[in-house]
Amino acid sequence: MGTNRSSRRTFLKTATAAAAAPYVITSAALGNEDRPAASDRIVMGGIGIGNMGRGDQGAFLNRGDVQYVAACDVRKGVREAAKGKIDGHYKNSDCQIYNDFRELLARDDIDAVHVATPDHWHAIMVIEACRAGKDVYCQKPETRTLREGPLMVDAARRYARVVSGGSQRVLEDYRKVVDPCWNGELGEIKSINVNVGPLSQHCNLPKEDQPADIDWDLWLGPAPWAPYNSKRCDGNFGTSGGSWRSYVDYSGGGMTDWGAHHFGGATFAIDVRELQPEEVIYHDSSDGKYLTFKYPNGRQITHNRPGKENMDVEGTPGEKREPKPIPTYKGTGGIYGDFIECVKTRERPFRDIELAVNSVMVSHLGIIAYATQRSLQWDAAKQEFPGDEEANRYLDRARREPWQL
Amino acid sequence: MLDKALETVQSLKYGDDIEPLKAIDDAIVATHGNSDGRKQLETQMLEVLQSDATRNGKDYICRKLRLIGSEESVPALASLLSDKELSHMARYALESMPSDAAGAALREALPKVDGELKEGVISSLGVRQDDRSVPALAALVSGEDAAIAKSASEALGAIRTTNAAKALVNARPNAAAAASVTDSLLACAESLLAAGDKATALTIYQKVSSGEPPKYVKLAATRGMLACAAN
Repeated sequence: MGTNRSSRRTFLKTATAAAAAPYVITSAALGNEDRPAASDRIVMGGIGIGNMGRGDQGAFLNRGDVQYVAACDVRKGVREAAKGKIDGHYKNSDCQIYNDFRELLARDDIDAVHVATPDHWHAIMVIEACRAGKDVYCQKPETRTLREGPLMVDAARRYARVVSGGSQRVLEDYRKVVDPCWNGELGEIKSINVNVGPLSQHCNLPKEDQPADIDWDLWLGPAPWAPYNSKRCDGNFGTSGGSWRSYVDYSGGGMTDWGAHHFGGATFAIDVRELQPEEVIYHDSSDGKYLTFKYPNGRQITHNRPGKENMDVEGTPGEKREPKPIPTYKGTGGIYGDFIECVKTRERPFRDIELAVNSVMVSHLGIIAYATQRSLQWDAAKQEFPGDEEANRYLDRARREPWQL
Repeated sequence: MLDKALETVQSLKYGDDIEPLKAIDDAIVATHGNSDGRKQLETQMLEVLQSDATRNGKDYICRKLRLIGSEESVPALASLLSDKELSHMARYALESMPSDAAGAALREALPKVDGELKEGVISSLGVRQDDRSVPALAALVSGEDAAIAKSASEALGAIRTTNAAKALVNARPNAAAAASVTDSLLACAESLLAAGDKATALTIYQKVSSGEPPKYVKLAATRGMLACAAN
């Protein structure tokens, strides 16, 4: 175990004091033509501010309608660099930094948070944020297991929180596919293919000397204990080794990391974002293994289907349909602006958590089908593989104490 | 291949090549629907788990018993619940096992472990929605240990049965667990409402709404009461 462990019991002793500490929201409280008054800004903090988090932070920090006041990361150097950036932006020293996300969430003055930790933390942090009354922008892939999704949706709905997933590509990258589907040009949409991978692998990297500036136990959090290794926790975008995105305890690999984008785009294009597959068919053909996800409305998504390009759509082009209005972002500033606008209006964002859960679950179902090498039925109402005790064991993973969901 | 894999697992150290271990995954897939084959595979894994295998090796076996472990595995896994290094991985295997024996093992371990290991066992009972553990969890919600009380209240919120709801309604929670109790009460009320028990759900929402909860909690309870009033 690490020496700087931040346990639940330690946190409980300090939380009250942390919540009661005085905070200065801003030193430039008066608004002007370009910027709302402090009282009208969305007060934000960020949790996990490495690679993706740093980008998210920059996007929110540069918005005039946001006051960014807090940053949290288990790496001391990362959070101190964030404070330097934030304080430099506002030309003050107000930003508070935290090692433990619970201290940030305990602040009553924060309206919303963005979460960009490794995936194995997303569900716990999003749910805890909702319980603390915060709105949340969570990086994709929003879930690490199937069980997490409905619990995140429950928490968001219970407290009427705005919770947005974090794939900007779903709306922005696939318009050449999405537009003809929604415009009716492709007739009755039958299926779409997604090529993405690989699946994450078990990590058995050797122990390395642990740097003094990382809270390793908190980085691992609910994941199984493992010795520190710089590649195990590296936030680079590779999925074939040498990054946390490669390893099964923290990520589903490219299947979820890029899958969140591609399956998100595919479910958007063929308009099944509000549905979940009812069956996953495992094909072991001479050309290779691939999957077909069947939806209740008859539409299908295939995964790595031989001979198909990514986002290839099958329709009936000779039988054009009436165009449908294409959903889009609210507000200005892309997916970040969509989230902030919804925080103000209390509408649901473009990648509302329920839609995000529905798209990432395609990746999870696929991973389970490949692992078991067989076809699976899925009961969306019960959130289980009906009558399939073996597949149901993949629904979730026990979290390392003291973390709980 | 499988024998070689199990031999590798027994002495597995961090940094070792794990390519030979794929034979275990292959064996799991190959024995699907073959009860004799599965039983033999499970027995071989248990031999490793109960040997002087390395921590890493036992960790790996627990990951695989999560997928195929039966009642046969429960005693060996239960014996690890009090092991600081392996308690989590024992739960990793036990938590998703359909066997009643797995739930019983967790319940039996509950009074025997302390601190974070107890929180872990509580968590797994919650995930399993183990209604039989409600009385023990209810007692912990009102206990002096704030972390345990919070963990137990969250588990009751995960169990979400009528018994769990009653336990939360009647709890005199440790102050540090009050927010968790509130959240779990709301979760129980949602389940009861979905099941058609509007009267009990309404009682819970009224309880949550009383006092001076945060505005967003008050609103959650108010929405719940309106849902109870709807046809």
